[in-house]
Amino acid sequence: MAAAVFPAWLALQPGARTLRAFSTAVSPATRAPTPSPRTTERTSKYERPLRRKALPPRTEKMAVDQDWPSVYPVAAPFKPSVVPLPVRMGYPVKSGVPMAKEGNLELLKIPNFLHLTPVAIKKHCEALKEFCTEWPAALDNDEKCEKHFPVEIETADYVSAGPSVRNPKARVVTLRVKLSSLNLDDHAKKKLIKLVGERYCKTTDVLTIRTDRCPLKRQNYDYAVYLLTVLYHESWKTEEWEKNKTEADMEEYVWENSSSEKNILETLLQIKAAEKNLEVNKEELLGTKEVEDYRKSVVSLKNEGDNESTLSQYKESVKRLLNLT
Amino acid sequence: MRERSGTPNLHELDAGHFLHTGSQAPQNLAAHLDNQVPVESPRAVSRTSESDPAKHGEQHEGQHYNIPLQDLKAVFPHGLPPRFVMQVKTFNEACLMVRKPALELLHYLKNTNFAHPAVRYVLYGEKGTGKTLSLCHIIHFCAKQDWLILHIPDAHLWVKNCRNLLQSTYNKQRLDQPLEASIWLKNFKTANERFLSQIKVQEKYVWNKRESTEKGSPLGEVVEQGITRVRNATDAVGIVLKELKRQSSSGIFHLLVAVDGVNALWGRTTLKREDKSPIAPEELALIYNLRKMVKNDWHGGAIVLTLSQTGSVFKPRKAFLPQELLGKEGFDTLDPFIPILVSNYNPKEFESCIQYYLENNWLQHEKAHTEDGKKELLFLSNTNPGQLERLCAYL
Repeated sequence: MAAAVFPAWLALQPGARTLRAFSTAVSPATRAPTPSPRTTERTSKYERPLRRKALPPRTEKMAVDQDWPSVYPVAAPFKPSVVPLPVRMGYPVKSGVPMAKEGNLELLKIPNFLHLTPVAIKKHCEALKEFCTEWPAALDNDEKCEKHFPVEIETADYVSAGPSVRNPKARVVTLRVKLSSLNLDDHAKKKLIKLVGERYCKTTDVLTIRTDRCPLKRQNYDYAVYLLTVLYHESWKTEEWEKNKTEADMEEYVWENSSSEKNILETLLQIKAAEKNLEVNKEELLGTKEVEDYRKSVVSLKNEGDNESTLSQYKESVKRLLNLT
Repeated sequence: MRERSGTPNLHELDAGHFLHTGSQAPQNLAAHLDNQVPVESPRAVSRTSESDPAKHGEQHEGQHYNIPLQDLKAVFPHGLPPRFVMQVKTFNEACLMVRKPALELLHYLKNTNFAHPAVRYVLYGEKGTGKTLSLCHIIHFCAKQDWLILHIPDAHLWVKNCRNLLQSTYNKQRLDQPLEASIWLKNFKTANERFLSQIKVQEKYVWNKRESTEKGSPLGEVVEQGITRVRNATDAVGIVLKELKRQSSSGIFHLLVAVDGVNALWGRTTLKREDKSPIAPEELALIYNLRKMVKNDWHGGAIVLTLSQTGSVFKPRKAFLPQELLGKEGFDTLDPFIPILVSNYNPKEFESCIQYYLENNWLQHEKAHTEDGKKELLFLSNTNPGQLERLCAYL
């Protein structure tokens, strides 16, 4: 097949070529790499349309101070020829480096925020400013905001081009409030924390209620506010069965009526009995300074856990209590 | 038989030793076994000749003292850690380092008021820092002072891998461990021979239809009964503990209760009954009686305990603090106690340990005695005694 085609292709050339057929027989050879028609290759390279060489990537033509938001105006996948950063990603082979960005699937898989650079966000804000009202001048720091508006409501609206404007994700409502701004006494606070469970964060003292069980945002907001009201009122009430609270239910260690108190009392009584000092009573024993120190050290040990300072404090207090040097 | 002196044998003239005993080189050639060779500085650092623990003080800190081998068999039939036993066999001598936690405890013990309830001391620390060996130091001291030593070498052995659990004859709810009890009784007998004839039991104990121990007979009989009749071994242990507790207040003897791995008493066990239901520690008679022993409702002695994660069941490897290992129950039972931290070597102790190994020709690597070598060992072991010992075993 190749042999038949070869002269036919040459014949297609303008006549001037045929005169120099022999001398220019080399030229098609240079155009196509190694035209020696090997017997295994039947498809001719000369049939395929000639490919253009790949152009240099756009990154080489980018100026340093270009307008980046126009390169990535919307969320788009990572295009290595468009992003001028020498990013590498991937697990390296032995004595190798992570893979480069060209043809890197890992960079395509992850979400990128190249459309949300600070410059782009500034532009978005500028565009949105005309739809916003002024921030009230009196609320210039966080404490004032906390004081006057302790409850924070978070909702999200979604805009997309599609057959319907509705988005089911828009019904979620998150209500955040700090417990210090609620009027709760000790028992009420402990009960509320037990009632809400995971929704309370100890380090920031914030109760977060996230509702999405109703179909509309307005309904979810009402439900969240209702939950907060109910929690507040219920935590102030004391039920009868709350009297059965055991030591295992306690949130923090309470020394009174604990086994530690009993132990130390017994020990002290025995010491006094050994010294033939029988006219002591419990309150006196428990009221001494050493026992007070001991109580503090045990409480801190139980509540904070073991660390050097609590353990050494405990050791000192026991030594003083038992009169060891 | 290798000499114990710091001067090397004529047979072992390797260059390393000449280097570190350089100043003494001319004397080495006239190698005599006279141990009045002036103490060279490495030896002064690593050893002391004071072998009575009662006289150990701060000036001996960091130095090794020698325990004669026949004392070792009498005082520690079962107490030493296995690697230390191997080291004793290799070096043919038993040397313990005097360290701060042990010195502190010795100070407290010397000033114990035997009329007050027994004080509990708890040694805690990370893995391999020397808690068990500190306990052994204390036991040696008390043995020298003629106290009665009640030493449970590893309480973890009583809560795991026990075969042949029998239902207790004394109390149907509890379970017996005949093997562990009989092994412990044998060792107890070896350690406290002289007391067993002096102490008399104060009640009559009936073992079965044919055998009983009368009131007033020596405690040794109870121990013998436990060793010969393995079925009653656990009950024998219980009786021994009860009698000792009762009689320690009388003043005939001082009692030292030393338990290694006391956190085993309040944790979980790996033992199961035939119907695969798990056994709680208090259902084992040995553990139940031992718990009674570590309470401080008796006087006339002291209680020294060690917390140990090695060998413990169901505890994470990095746990070493008292509350982590004892749990709530254990802490509440032991409260109030004196916690004593056992930490890694300080530079002086580390230097002393390396010198000790070098003197016994344990470190054969040619760079072991150089400064660089020591720094490398310090870094690799992080001054942890157990880790250092394991590293040096390869050198």
